[in-house]
Amino acid sequence: MSEKAKEEKAYRVLESHGFLQRVVFRYMLEGHAASEEGKLAWVTSGFPVEIPVAMDVGVSYPEQYGAVIGSEKAGPKLCGYAEELGYSQELCSYARASIGSVKHPEESPLEGLPAPQALLACNNICGTVLRWYDAISQMTGAPVFLVDTPPLEGEQLPHHIAYVRHGLDDLVSFLSEQFGTTLEEDKLREVTDLATETIGVWTQCLEACKNKPSPLNCADRFLAMAPVVAIRGRDYTLEYYQMLLNEVKDRVTNGLGAIRDEKVRLLWDNIPPWFRVFRIMGSLAKRGVVFPADTYTHAWTGSFKDEDRMDSIASMYSNVYLNKGLEAKVDKMCGLIKDYDLDGFVMFSVRSCKRYSLGQLVSKELVSERTGVPGVVIEGDMVDSRLQNDAQIETRLDALLEMLL
Amino acid sequence: MGIGLDLGSSTTKGVLVDKNGKIIAARLIPTGAIASKAAENVLEELTKLSQLDLGDVSTVSTGYGRTQVEFAHESITEITCHSVGVHSLNPGIKLLIDVGGQDSKVIRIGSKGRPTNFELNDKCSAGTGRFLEVMARVLEVSIDELGPLALKSKFPCLISSTCTVFAESEVIGRIGSGESPANIAAGVHQAMAAKISTLSRRVGVASPTAVTGGVARNPAFCHYLSAALNCDLWIPKEPQLTGALGAAILAIARASDTE
Repeated sequence: MSEKAKEEKAYRVLESHGFLQRVVFRYMLEGHAASEEGKLAWVTSGFPVEIPVAMDVGVSYPEQYGAVIGSEKAGPKLCGYAEELGYSQELCSYARASIGSVKHPEESPLEGLPAPQALLACNNICGTVLRWYDAISQMTGAPVFLVDTPPLEGEQLPHHIAYVRHGLDDLVSFLSEQFGTTLEEDKLREVTDLATETIGVWTQCLEACKNKPSPLNCADRFLAMAPVVAIRGRDYTLEYYQMLLNEVKDRVTNGLGAIRDEKVRLLWDNIPPWFRVFRIMGSLAKRGVVFPADTYTHAWTGSFKDEDRMDSIASMYSNVYLNKGLEAKVDKMCGLIKDYDLDGFVMFSVRSCKRYSLGQLVSKELVSERTGVPGVVIEGDMVDSRLQNDAQIETRLDALLEMLL
Repeated sequence: MGIGLDLGSSTTKGVLVDKNGKIIAARLIPTGAIASKAAENVLEELTKLSQLDLGDVSTVSTGYGRTQVEFAHESITEITCHSVGVHSLNPGIKLLIDVGGQDSKVIRIGSKGRPTNFELNDKCSAGTGRFLEVMARVLEVSIDELGPLALKSKFPCLISSTCTVFAESEVIGRIGSGESPANIAAGVHQAMAAKISTLSRRVGVASPTAVTGGVARNPAFCHYLSAALNCDLWIPKEPQLTGALGAAILAIARASDTE
């Protein structure tokens, strides 16, 4: 693209995205290599991944692959294959797309995820993941291990940490038996230190969006989050985030926003519709709408403390956004609206992600009441475009903007 | 002058107003399969009715087909347009319930006639005009006959499903068990009123409340909605035209802003 054409787009493309693509490509190759060696585990997005990584077990993320399926617009086809097997359309579309892609890898983007030798689920993000992995286990023969993190209301009590910690110890035994490896404390410390440092740099990128204009938009963060979710404990992940942070700082120093003419700043709540997110964000960018914060990419923050590392892992993974009550979600949204000086919020009600979408109607009222800014709930899905009506979404977003502009 | 065109899922409405917002001409036609064609047709009708040259008149489009009107100077959502339209007719209205062919909206109107909060039905067509059209077909009456039929009922039967497809099966079941058409029709209206009442409570019921859209012409719906909300409802003389009227008023404002 010529420099002039770049200048004219409402949206500024990040230079570091080229490096991001290489990082993700390398991660994919590592996944295939691990699978061929018989050392690959599939993990859920909130799984305490530092443990398998420290035990030299490769990891792949079916939820992230679900996002790829969504972006490639292959959701209806692959979800349809799962439905042919008898799964309901009410089931999570990440699960359906994953089951469909295992059934028909030849019709899946990148020919499917590499075959797993273990399936590691953590129910801190939802309960469906266990049954989903059970289904994949039936199809692939890989055994399932569950790390159980009971939902938290309020502060985490010592017995809760002890319970989750017990599950993590069992995980280590499971991985040792399955893959013939051991967990060295030094290695775990090294991996968690690297993860903490990476999350720290990522958090700085997020917090830079408090600036006006915001240096990153929602869609930038949705892409840039991939390594902090999936490729923790790797030095090249840290290298990528340092590069992103430098670019973000440059933008802030030079007063450059993610979009050219920032007029309205909004909060995004929930997983995006992967098949449509860039179109929605692009068309809103043309009207001066930017999303400096969202609850989704802010879910991968925090740090491992210098206490007993296993206890710290137990604590961090129990306290993830989706494992907490409605009050914590409302507090988080109100906090982001205040800290990032936002004018309103958009809550995406994801038909197939019940855990994230539950309570949105109530929280919309509470957030508006506490912050004084208006919001709107739009409906659709992250992967299955059959569950989305674009005209209804446009009308709701337009009406919100007419209240703000 | 200003022209407002409201391209709804069932009907397209056109309103021409003078500079004071007084209606000079208004027309309603079926939208049909091509929204842009409906817009052209309704403009032609307004030209005939007013016998004026409307070529340069400021025009705002609204409704689901709003972006299809190439000759419109601006498109604005029906949420804003209905608020402005109703406010111009009755400035005291605080809550507006608009039930159209494809969706139902509940809008809180601020002191300046602009929306301050709103909720729309979910993707399901239950609680919309389409729901009543489907039920009228099953009961073998016209859509205009459905409301009066329901008002004859003394013992409305319970329609528990809020999904149009399931409710249709439920109605067919009731017919099969010998329930009278009047009682079934009343149950259908009660179910719809209950759904919209829930939507209204989410925004916050506030008096006085107005009802607009094609469904506002249905006396049984208004009767059961009034009971469900426990308040009187104000219905404009032409409840289907308020969106187009609001668009026309916004067209005047737009023209004076650009002058």
